[in-house]
Amino acid sequence: MAALSPEELERFQKLSNEFEPDIQGPLVSVKQSSNAIAADYANADPTLAAKTSALAVTHSTSRIMKGDGNCGWRAVAFGYFENLLSLQDALLIQREASRIKSLCTLLDRVGQQEHLYEIFVDATDQVFSELLEAVNQGIRDESFLVESFNNEYNSSAIITHFRLLTSAWMKLNPHRYQAFLSMPLDQYCATQIETVKTEIDEVGLQALVDGVIEGSGFAVEILYLDRSVGEAVTPHLLTPSRPSPAVIRLLYRPGHYDLLYRAEPVVNMTPVVNYQYGMTSDYTPWDQTALGFDMNSQLMTIPNLMLDPSYTLNVTPMVPTCSSPYRVPSPQEVYQPPMQTQPIAPVSPPVTPRISAPPPPPITTLPPRSSEGPQIRLNPLVMKSNLSRSLPVTTPFKK
Amino acid sequence: MGSQKRIAKELAELTESPPEGITVRLADESNLYNWHVYMEGPENSPYHKGTFLVNLNLPTNYPFKPPTVSFGTKIYHPNVTNDEKGSMCLGMLRPDEWKPSSKIVAVLQFARQLLAEPMPDDAVEGRIAEQYRTDRKRYEEVAREWTRKHATGKKA
Repeated sequence: MAALSPEELERFQKLSNEFEPDIQGPLVSVKQSSNAIAADYANADPTLAAKTSALAVTHSTSRIMKGDGNCGWRAVAFGYFENLLSLQDALLIQREASRIKSLCTLLDRVGQQEHLYEIFVDATDQVFSELLEAVNQGIRDESFLVESFNNEYNSSAIITHFRLLTSAWMKLNPHRYQAFLSMPLDQYCATQIETVKTEIDEVGLQALVDGVIEGSGFAVEILYLDRSVGEAVTPHLLTPSRPSPAVIRLLYRPGHYDLLYRAEPVVNMTPVVNYQYGMTSDYTPWDQTALGFDMNSQLMTIPNLMLDPSYTLNVTPMVPTCSSPYRVPSPQEVYQPPMQTQPIAPVSPPVTPRISAPPPPPITTLPPRSSEGPQIRLNPLVMKSNLSRSLPVTTPFKK
Repeated sequence: MGSQKRIAKELAELTESPPEGITVRLADESNLYNWHVYMEGPENSPYHKGTFLVNLNLPTNYPFKPPTVSFGTKIYHPNVTNDEKGSMCLGMLRPDEWKPSSKIVAVLQFARQLLAEPMPDDAVEGRIAEQYRTDRKRYEEVAREWTRKHATGKKA
């Protein structure tokens, strides 16, 4: 074969430099059966095949993100707004809209200029308005969100907004992230976070969750699909363990993020679930503020405390997924369990902004109990024998 | 759309408080995306006393894609292509390095700084870069000559 001429070489080099993989599919797909993922791996490594087919059972549907360098960012942002829609709580949406807006102070504090970032904030704001309108009209169908996120401009603007917030958050909390970075934090933010199409890595994802998502009270969980030993994907919770009104579930395959949804038939026994939520939500201030897990380094050093998969599995059934009609907070409605073991109000120090636990409806008649399993679930922490010895039962300790 | 809003604000800022040696105007009043930038050669550079027309083009999906910068006035410089395009390669304008929070004024200031301090390691004109490194005096002579010939007649 004849050698290539320098011109041809140059042309090939140019083509190669300009090559952009032609990635098919929408930026955010519609919900689809997770069997599609399992089918992708059916002939692959047996571990992956086993894990994906197990996954299709526990998490029956998924939403595929386009692998264009923004999939992780887009998955979290879309999952966040989608959960806001499915909770159907207008007040929550308004509260979240103003919380996100208030994060502009972070941008100002790191020297971002409003006339440069306002169009990104506007795009996010627009989604909040659309959500609010949908909820006011009782629309549960998320296709308008999918459409919004498939608009290249909107998608880029919202993601850039979240990227800038994440970057500002990291710069204002360098001690939490610098140790995990291989370069100075400012350089990391400039080259990995604030750019247009740099895929999110673990540190960036944690910072996005800490800085932008956590204030909503939503949980963020990643299910790792890798070749580690085992027959199920490895879950990892990125938010503090606490009862959450919603969970953003990410499926991670090396270099790529998608969204996952649980099969959720059981949770829909509405009244019982709400009753349980009332019981468990009472624990919230107890484990949240008195123990301060996220701040207590001793507790954080207990191996696998936050990673224990059985823990997250236990928590999730307490999450109401369909409590919409009952979520209008009104003080008179707050359900007080008869056995209150510790005071709540005076103890709580100013906590990180989180949504207050929504009160359950007044229970007039208890529905017949189903035969499956205990109806009142304790906070799993209470059931952990190793912890219960070290935790006070009657008086919460304070700092 | 948002990109027009942002471009309009950046243009307003540049017009109200123009940075040193830089004047900006729309190439066509009805089109926000093409700018004519008049850049004065920095002092202590062979481009001093010259005024260079720089075309700044903004993509429709600005600021998610970077602007492009090219010289409409012929210039003898290692980082500007010596052809009718006059393209200038700036690291910050590479798609993978571009940040949507960067602003146009910073791009223009960076470009003008490059006139004062060429970056021969990132050259697009290897011959000029080589001369800049090995025979600075000759480079400055030619650059000054080109400036006199092409960049002092006002406008391009």
